[in-house]
Amino acid sequence: MKNYTTNLVRGVAILAGLSACIAGAAFADSGAELPKRPESINFKPLEFQPPKSADYRHVLSNGVAVYMIPSKEFPLINVSFSFRSGAHIEEKPGVAQITSAMIRRGGTTSKSATDLDEEFDFLAANATPGSLNALKSNFDEAFALYMDMIRNPGFQEDKVRVYKDEQIESMKQRNDDADNILARTGGLLMWGDKHPEGRVVTKDQFEAVTIDDMKKYHARVYQPGNLIIGITGDFEQQEMISKLESAFSGWAKGEPVPDPTDTDHKFTPGLYYVEKDIPQGKFVVTSRGIKRDDPDAIPCLVMNDILGGGGFTSRLMKRIRSDEGLTYGVGSGFQTRVYYPGTFGVRTFSKNKTVALTAKMVYEELDKIRNTPVTQEELDVSKKSFIDTFPRTFESKVGTVNVFIDDEWTRRPADYWQTYRDKLNAVTIDDVRKMAQKHIDPAKLMMLVVGKWSEVAPGDPNETRDSHKANMAMLPGGQNPTRLPLLDPLTQQPLPMEEATKP
Amino acid sequence: MRSWLLTLTVAAAFVAPAAAQQIQVEEFTLDNGMKFLLYPRTEEPNIIAAGWLAKVGSVNERPGITGISHFFEHMMFKGTNTIGTKEPEKDLEFRMKQKAARDKILSITFNTQYPRWKEGEIDDPWDPSNDTDELSKARGELTTLMEEHKKIIVKDEFDKVYTELGASQMNAFTSNDVTFYFISVPANKFELWAWMESDRLVDSVFREFYSERDVVHEERRLRTESTPTGIFQEQFDAMFWQSSPYSWPVIGWTSDLNSYTKEQAEEYFNIYYRPNNLVGVIVGDFKSEEIKPVIQQYFGRLSRGPVEPPPVVTLEMKQMAEQRMYAECDCQPQIEVRYKTVPFGHKDSYPLEVMSDVLNSRSGRLYKSLIEGKKIASTAAAQASGFFGAAKYAGSFSFNSETKGDAKPEQLEAAWYEELDKLQKEPVSERELLKVKNQTIANQYRRLQNNFFIMVQLGILENLGGWRHINDDSAKIQAVTAEDVMRVAKQYFEKTNRSTAIYTRLASAATEAEDPEFAAVKEKVGPQMAGMLKKQLDQIKKETDLAKLKQASEQMAQAIGAGQIPPQMADGVKYMQQKLNERIAELEKGAK
Repeated sequence: MKNYTTNLVRGVAILAGLSACIAGAAFADSGAELPKRPESINFKPLEFQPPKSADYRHVLSNGVAVYMIPSKEFPLINVSFSFRSGAHIEEKPGVAQITSAMIRRGGTTSKSATDLDEEFDFLAANATPGSLNALKSNFDEAFALYMDMIRNPGFQEDKVRVYKDEQIESMKQRNDDADNILARTGGLLMWGDKHPEGRVVTKDQFEAVTIDDMKKYHARVYQPGNLIIGITGDFEQQEMISKLESAFSGWAKGEPVPDPTDTDHKFTPGLYYVEKDIPQGKFVVTSRGIKRDDPDAIPCLVMNDILGGGGFTSRLMKRIRSDEGLTYGVGSGFQTRVYYPGTFGVRTFSKNKTVALTAKMVYEELDKIRNTPVTQEELDVSKKSFIDTFPRTFESKVGTVNVFIDDEWTRRPADYWQTYRDKLNAVTIDDVRKMAQKHIDPAKLMMLVVGKWSEVAPGDPNETRDSHKANMAMLPGGQNPTRLPLLDPLTQQPLPMEEATKP
Repeated sequence: MRSWLLTLTVAAAFVAPAAAQQIQVEEFTLDNGMKFLLYPRTEEPNIIAAGWLAKVGSVNERPGITGISHFFEHMMFKGTNTIGTKEPEKDLEFRMKQKAARDKILSITFNTQYPRWKEGEIDDPWDPSNDTDELSKARGELTTLMEEHKKIIVKDEFDKVYTELGASQMNAFTSNDVTFYFISVPANKFELWAWMESDRLVDSVFREFYSERDVVHEERRLRTESTPTGIFQEQFDAMFWQSSPYSWPVIGWTSDLNSYTKEQAEEYFNIYYRPNNLVGVIVGDFKSEEIKPVIQQYFGRLSRGPVEPPPVVTLEMKQMAEQRMYAECDCQPQIEVRYKTVPFGHKDSYPLEVMSDVLNSRSGRLYKSLIEGKKIASTAAAQASGFFGAAKYAGSFSFNSETKGDAKPEQLEAAWYEELDKLQKEPVSERELLKVKNQTIANQYRRLQNNFFIMVQLGILENLGGWRHINDDSAKIQAVTAEDVMRVAKQYFEKTNRSTAIYTRLASAATEAEDPEFAAVKEKVGPQMAGMLKKQLDQIKKETDLAKLKQASEQMAQAIGAGQIPPQMADGVKYMQQKLNERIAELEKGAK
């Protein structure tokens, strides 16, 4: 073995010299000089016009919209039934989730749950309450089962029990993973415990949902007045329309579900932490953001991309991961919402003792993007990337009909995709700075850390470089951090804190 | 069974399309040995998914350099003499100086710190807080060099070039068996991919060879050390595989990750990253005749390696005794029972696959028996090794399940053996078999619907045994009989061939607060007493010495009887006695 390795190393050294010659030879053979840099390659232009939803929209006799894009590639048919739903119309917390699960798992009024599962599986059809993917050869059988399921769900009692038990077991694991603690606690701080975005359903609330509650919710949501359909795959359009018409006969139409509303809760900026004995502290720095249709949304998209949204080309990733090796991943995002402002946030993680340094650098980057112009190159990379990857939005047919459905539900302006690239192109260096100043205020952010506070708080005691000395007290709110209790995974009640480590 | 007849007729009409979808892939091999798989597909217009793989993973490593395959994956994004620097000569100088500094650190670590650690003088030879003055100085020199070097590095330029030109989904992964680099590019930019990928293959410089370790340590903390069961799964793998190189983690052992040298990296590169060990895979909107000359032009300049990659010699030894592991963690109580089976492509891998399918899904056996019937599990699944992870040189079959309510992992284990027993004694029903086969046919189409996913599958399969598996395996599943399933269920599931990991929840504040009784007691005795009580209760919970517990219980009963307990503590003591007796009962029950 030893011999083998030695030979090999020598071989390598010889070859390193050799390969340069061979490479040179290959150039000569091909006759053409390769471009010195990738930017100097001559690319043919790529023409792309986004599809217009109106070209694919049909309307059934009961007024339900259907988007269809057929394809002969595989003998499969994919049906999306998009019913507008959500926790915002719940009378009891948890109803939306349980009802949706039980429509699929609780059988129908004339078929046991076990039979329904068995038949779907035997037909090799994948069904959820909102979709069916089935082979063309047995589509009619699968579609009949699917329609029976969404029109006449059985809510079989013993299966409700099994589902509730399963969910309660998974609730028990809420404190096992730091990410879950971060998300749950962060949601409560940001949205409060009344709004669906912050609320966490407890075991008792979950148990309190009755079959009558599910029936009521089902009647409200799963009806043709609250439905848009998308179909892709191997089918004839006229034939499919007739299938839908006959499947819908006698199905009473109700009102569409109303838009969700914002929370009344106002979050309090500051530094918060939850104790968890793990080697790596995870944190988020966050505030409320903007609505999807806000005129600032596109310039914010570019600003965020340069800051931390653009993966390895973003500033946060370059500095905190690539330059400093402090994390494996860091990113920022404006998670817009359609009906109320979403959130802005930076999320990352680092070994406990460098959490403070990592956070310090995050805040420095926020200041920087607010106070100094981005470079023309940064702006160009970001804009070109969005524009060149734009065709991917409509890459697959399933994805395309889902965009159409979503746009119709959320009343997106009809020319949105047609003008998307122009709006991106129009973003300037000045816009980027204005957006950062307008939508990110470092003094009004909330930071939440999950980790071992006794190691997190003081920072790295062995750090010798002045620029890299950091502790949590240096950060906004750091003089006065608020320790939050871990919440009981089943009741959401605070757990005792006396056992936690002190700095 | 009302619907039995109906579905049977459906089935009869349905088994017909057993001749599953075939995709036509063109093979194209350059003189230097690099093979390309080309699959033009216009269903997703304007996009090409492109990737290349090195037929190397952690299975090709050895102790001392574990994790180097994965580390290489990180290195490959760090640029060349063109990408990542504006001053290649100066850049080389920095790299040489850093190498010298790092070699010094390693030499001190192995010659001074390892002996100090062996003799018990320090607790960790790698921890900088244990550094000698000399080592600390050397480390400082390296840090300074890295800081200085940063100033001339064009950071993440590789990503920047791709991003700016409209590429997306750029990533790579390393598994036990393969290292795979991939991306989606706009259909007019195939040449960009050829330029970038051949450049990093012909001219990789391993920039940031030392600083990137910190990122990988963070990755390890993220994936292995900060997840509920990560470190235990790593330990279980190490226990499960005895002689096979699958026993070490893909990310590598911590000490090895600290130690890779430039020489080791170069040796590794020259064996495994030469064209004769690489495969390119292109799927999407292109014409073969247009891209072949581009491939030739760019990848033709790679030169064949000095030696053929050595074979993976070490076979897994036959296991002679059952293995068990018990872990306590912040996790749902759960169990894994894992068996050694066969590598990818083995004729028995198909019946093993069918066996797992019969067990899985809501209409499968495990759900019906463990979740709905016995009501002891919240999840239950069987997994035959196949595609990702360790599969090329050896295989495994796992049963995984999490408890429900008060059930113990041991009950899940017993229930699994019952299911196994049935599979060994009775052939699976025709209907179950047909159901699995029907699903295989539909999934054969479903898996071919996305350029990116097709590209990844072709590459992985090519490494495991040939891309044609994408077309051929469906027919092999169709050919499996009930007898085949029974035979493999007997052959591979002996007691001596199994390893079991049992996970129980670490006693903590989290579980205590769920107990409403304790909350009531706390109210009566006040927080200070409750705190003391809780510590006692935790000890009781962990105590396994029955005699000790009985003695404590007796003493307590005597104290209560003699009126020695102050009234304000009475409720607390009574509660403690109750828990003591519960623990005694629990241990006695377990002993039987």
